[in-house]
Amino acid sequence: MNIQDNYQKNRKNIFFSENKDIETHREKLINIFENDRFDKKNNESLKNINLKNFIDFNYKYLIPEETSVINNTHENSYSIVSVNGQCSTFKDDKIEITKILDEDYNDFSKNNTIEKNDHFVNLNSLFLNSGFKIVIKRNNKIKIKISNIVTDDDLTIFQKNNIICQEGSSLSLIEEYENKNNSTSNILNVIKLEKHSQLNHFLIQDNSSNHNLIITSHSSCKKDSTYTQKVYNFSEGYVRNFHYSELIETNSEADLQGIFFLKDNNTSNNKTFVKHLAEDCKSNQVYKGILNDRAKATYFSNTHVDQVAQKTEGYQLSKGILLSDSASYFSKPELKIYADDVKCSHGSTIGPIDENAIFYLRSRGMSKIAATKILISSFINEELSSIDNEQMSEIIQKKLVRYLSKVK
Amino acid sequence: MFLEIKDLSVKIENKNILNGLNLNINKGEVHAIMGPNGCGKSTLANVLAGKEDYEILNGKINFKDNDLFDLNIEERAQEGMFLAFQYPVEIPGVNITPFLHSAINSKRKRMNEEEIDNLSFAKLLKSKASDLGINIDMLKRSVNTGFSGGEKKRYEILQMSILNPDLAILDETDSGLDIDALKIVTDGVNKLKTKDNSFLIITHYQKLLDYIKPDYVHVMVNGSIVKSGGSEIADEIEKDGFQKFQ
Repeated sequence: MNIQDNYQKNRKNIFFSENKDIETHREKLINIFENDRFDKKNNESLKNINLKNFIDFNYKYLIPEETSVINNTHENSYSIVSVNGQCSTFKDDKIEITKILDEDYNDFSKNNTIEKNDHFVNLNSLFLNSGFKIVIKRNNKIKIKISNIVTDDDLTIFQKNNIICQEGSSLSLIEEYENKNNSTSNILNVIKLEKHSQLNHFLIQDNSSNHNLIITSHSSCKKDSTYTQKVYNFSEGYVRNFHYSELIETNSEADLQGIFFLKDNNTSNNKTFVKHLAEDCKSNQVYKGILNDRAKATYFSNTHVDQVAQKTEGYQLSKGILLSDSASYFSKPELKIYADDVKCSHGSTIGPIDENAIFYLRSRGMSKIAATKILISSFINEELSSIDNEQMSEIIQKKLVRYLSKVK
Repeated sequence: MFLEIKDLSVKIENKNILNGLNLNINKGEVHAIMGPNGCGKSTLANVLAGKEDYEILNGKINFKDNDLFDLNIEERAQEGMFLAFQYPVEIPGVNITPFLHSAINSKRKRMNEEEIDNLSFAKLLKSKASDLGINIDMLKRSVNTGFSGGEKKRYEILQMSILNPDLAILDETDSGLDIDALKIVTDGVNKLKTKDNSFLIITHYQKLLDYIKPDYVHVMVNGSIVKSGGSEIADEIEKDGFQKFQ
């Protein structure tokens, strides 16, 4: 079924389909799909992926029978279970959770300039069927854990979340994606950090092989704010992590880190993009991958420094270990600098595990398998030891042990 | 015989490196191999330790009544063979202490000995490090990472003293060491020497042998031992070089 027919058939279940402006915007998106020649060479959202599988899909969405749960587990600590992308409303003096509104759609989807060629973002806008908005109120320090549950097979979740950290607030957000059903989740997170705010965003991805997860996030940082994102992908199914960050006011920071652990025939596509639009801002993009069997991955990192963004510091690093001759990892770092007083760097190293290091460890009595595992752990040691959230650290260690147990 | 190398020929990437090498080492003996650059000294050390890049063309090696070629790299280490590397490998992210703890326990396990617990190991490590003038802070670092040349060699000797091997192979341990570091390293080796263990010392220079007295000195040229004798051979080499042996 083509996109137009698919949309028309399911229109009544899709958010904001009665809004005339939004419908006009969606018609434009449909035209893009119908007329696009899908330029795989120049469009990073199309690399290493069979887009046809994601465009010719059977739309299915179930409104969850049980409403999602929001618990205030401890003071300043909340636990949310999002079911099929839906979350019930909640309000106290520190946070507010509401449904997304037409204006939230317009705020990002219509004004989106960075991702206009990203077909997955366009699909998300077109078939939007779930999502919520979280506001952290001024000067509050909050912890939130969100478990994202998909209830049934064959569901197509198109979810859009807005997260707003008001001035002086601080949020530690853990998102878990651990689904075992044959479904596809296409999620767009739009994150806004007001002045002096901070967001530490952890994403743990551990889906089964029949579950596709497509996450796109866009963060914008105002003066003295910091957005930190750490992604840990242990999924056996396809995962796409694309993260865009705009540093729009001075002294703001974006720190985007990711580690993926792939095996079998799995594929993961990753991208980080940081746009420096003001002076004295810092960014850091570090992605590391461990690939076994016939796994494939891509990582595109981009730093764009606008001409007004003097005193920028922007660093990129990509590293990969290939545990098998059939695994592949394509990495492309890119810097575009239009200011003249900046410190920027990029680096990329991908290769098999260091045989000399293996020999050294074995020559001290360690078995080959133990040496391999210790070297894999050491490869990501810096990132793992920098996790300052004990709960997160434990979760990641357990998943790492599970991944390593399959390394032969 | 403790170690018996018989008619050993080895090649790598179509280049013959060892050509019919013979060497016998008994328990409690210290042997030194001297030879010019490229004569095959390090290849011999690597082949003994089990590095898999080499093709064995001919020959046999017996170590403690085992056919060495039946043992893989870690089994050789667990049986009591130790190679002090010429260029110790930097391994960022692998902490020295748990690594060494795991190494010693893998050996004890093979020997059917009880594994050493954390506390006892920490004590052992601290005392051995102190003997070698190694700062305790260094033990918190990653294996060889950011170490100076001297620190790397000292750390190799620390590992050797912890693992207490039956046969230690020192591959140009003196290279890159200043005189003070050389003394500390060689003192460490001399302390380990007993009637039950043996040493194979590979070096270019006679200097090292001023500190570690060998029972036998062998001259290696083009992948074979061309002369064997006592420490007078080292003096001869110091005086006249390797030219006359080639």
